[in-house]
Amino acid sequence: MAMTKSRRRRITMIIRYAVLSVWALIAFFPIYWIVSTSFKIDTQWFAWPPFYFPNPPTFSNYMNVWFGAEEYTSTQYAISSQKPLISLWNSTVIATCSTFLAVLFGSIIAYGVSRYRVLSDLRMFQLLMLRMIPPIVIVAPLSLYYTAVGLIDTRTGLILVYFLTTLPYAVWMTKSFIDEVPREVEQAAEILGASRWRTVFEIVLPLIRSGLVATFLFILILTWSEYLLALIITKTNVATLPIELSKYQGSTEGRVYGRQAALAVGITIPLMIVGVIIRKHLARGFSFGMVRR
Amino acid sequence: MARIELVNLEKSFGAVKAVKDLTFTIEDGEFIVFVGPSGCGQTTTLRMIAGFEDPTSGEIRINGKVVNDLEPRDRGLGMVFQSHALFPHKNVAQNIEFGLRMKKVPAEERVRRVREVADMVRIGHLLDKMPSQCSGGESQRVALARTLVTNPSTFLLDEPLSSLDAKLRRELRAECDRLHQALKRTFIFVTHDQEEAMTLADRIVVMRNGEIVQVGSPMEIYSNPVNYFVADFFGSPSMNLVAGEIVQGTAGTRFRAPHFDIALPTRFGTAKPGAATLGIRPESVGVAIGAKGDIELPVRLVEPLGKDTLLYFDAGTERAFVAVTEGLSMAEIKVDERIPLTLDPLRIHLFESDGRRIDTGA
Repeated sequence: MAMTKSRRRRITMIIRYAVLSVWALIAFFPIYWIVSTSFKIDTQWFAWPPFYFPNPPTFSNYMNVWFGAEEYTSTQYAISSQKPLISLWNSTVIATCSTFLAVLFGSIIAYGVSRYRVLSDLRMFQLLMLRMIPPIVIVAPLSLYYTAVGLIDTRTGLILVYFLTTLPYAVWMTKSFIDEVPREVEQAAEILGASRWRTVFEIVLPLIRSGLVATFLFILILTWSEYLLALIITKTNVATLPIELSKYQGSTEGRVYGRQAALAVGITIPLMIVGVIIRKHLARGFSFGMVRR
Repeated sequence: MARIELVNLEKSFGAVKAVKDLTFTIEDGEFIVFVGPSGCGQTTTLRMIAGFEDPTSGEIRINGKVVNDLEPRDRGLGMVFQSHALFPHKNVAQNIEFGLRMKKVPAEERVRRVREVADMVRIGHLLDKMPSQCSGGESQRVALARTLVTNPSTFLLDEPLSSLDAKLRRELRAECDRLHQALKRTFIFVTHDQEEAMTLADRIVVMRNGEIVQVGSPMEIYSNPVNYFVADFFGSPSMNLVAGEIVQGTAGTRFRAPHFDIALPTRFGTAKPGAATLGIRPESVGVAIGAKGDIELPVRLVEPLGKDTLLYFDAGTERAFVAVTEGLSMAEIKVDERIPLTLDPLRIHLFESDGRRIDTGA
């Protein structure tokens, strides 16, 4: 009897691992394909049967896309109008500023909601509902409005719109972390003589730091990869990386998969670096509330 | 140092009145215990004194000065919370030091005073630990030290022991008592545990549904409860309460209930006939084997505790009728045996059907 039970358990485990492995393969394949394509020479991009490994691997895609290296621009895939490094800078400025603003104001609002109920449950829900509006709906009026006030095609314009569209997430996420900080801990600080600001900075902020970092990364990913609003609002002057990426799929450039993949990998790496730097906080941030109490 | 007056204090949460028209004065240096079943308004009262809740109406005065509009930090009070409320990201020493830092006490003096209070509550060895590494009892000592170090005029303690196990609770109860004796400060302690109230308080404030039911020394509360609720709430084992009726007849005033037909002491001579509840504490019930008792009841359970033996009788009531006898002499009594019992006439209480004690002025 005991044999059968342990055996059944083992079979279940095997099945479980098999299913998960297949799922993992399916999920990881596109990522692998992009990385692999970025190292392929042009003849292998479309080859059938496909080349699963770049052979021989080449850096030419990277050199061309990122540095517009001369020796490669003479090819038919010459890309003259693209300035990925400028886009990288644009994206960095726009994503970090808007994310920073969203988390800053989001957590201030969240604190007010959590402690003083400055927004009722209904208002909080309405705030989240703002996110349910498909961005394409607001794009036309927004672009008209931005043209009128001179924000069209500017970094400030995009920072503002990203800040406002991600604010609901920031409020909701940071609120859940603030809710986890027991009121009594704050009150203990208060009765010991701390002012409200002191309490927030010395007690609340350190306790929700991991949550803030997790929120920051979450919103950074959203703003870093936002495409639609950027496409409409920043036509030429301030292209961001996703815009840059899309240009490799256009009618003027043809389907230059290798170059596009090289750009895509480059776009992903900064986020991964940020993720690795803050990984300690991420694990804590996303498991907040499950460990305590 | 601190005399706290509560004047017509009220607090409502929406339609719910948590505290109703509370007027009460806490004298300097007193150990006051607010006690009552959970949710009877005692914690709300404490939080209003602390300044965390604004009274809906009424006044709080500390040393004659109205403090309703003062921030908690400006009231000169110290508070210990049920949940300890330690700062989880600071170690024990930093936790204790916090209040001193807020008061801008110089660093050397802070170190000295942290050491001092840590030794006072016997946590000197924990100073480098994080709160998460401390046990429940240790955490509460840290919380106590953190409050002690700021030298408050009054200590507010909100069910500080209720998250601890029985043994620790007794230990920390003694600690609170010792601190009160040593510091001679005002202590306001909230609990729902009658035993804590009895052992700690100079005066007990019994609360129920947001109102004060009775104020008095533990002995007063115990021996002269003003109503059924207080009688029932205090004491372990609880007071025996038997529902029946008062009958005025030729044989004088009598109390009748199933199994009961006893002559009431003369002080109840003027009591109105009708439904009433008789109350008598287990220790006032005498076991009169071989003699004629006031009543005779069958034994249901014998509980020898060592120092005492508890006898549970079937009186036809929901709760068993209990008698406490000293030592183990009664431990051999057999279940179902009918035992004659005497009721100490001086210790008999009668309560009207609305719960009020029938007062005879005696």
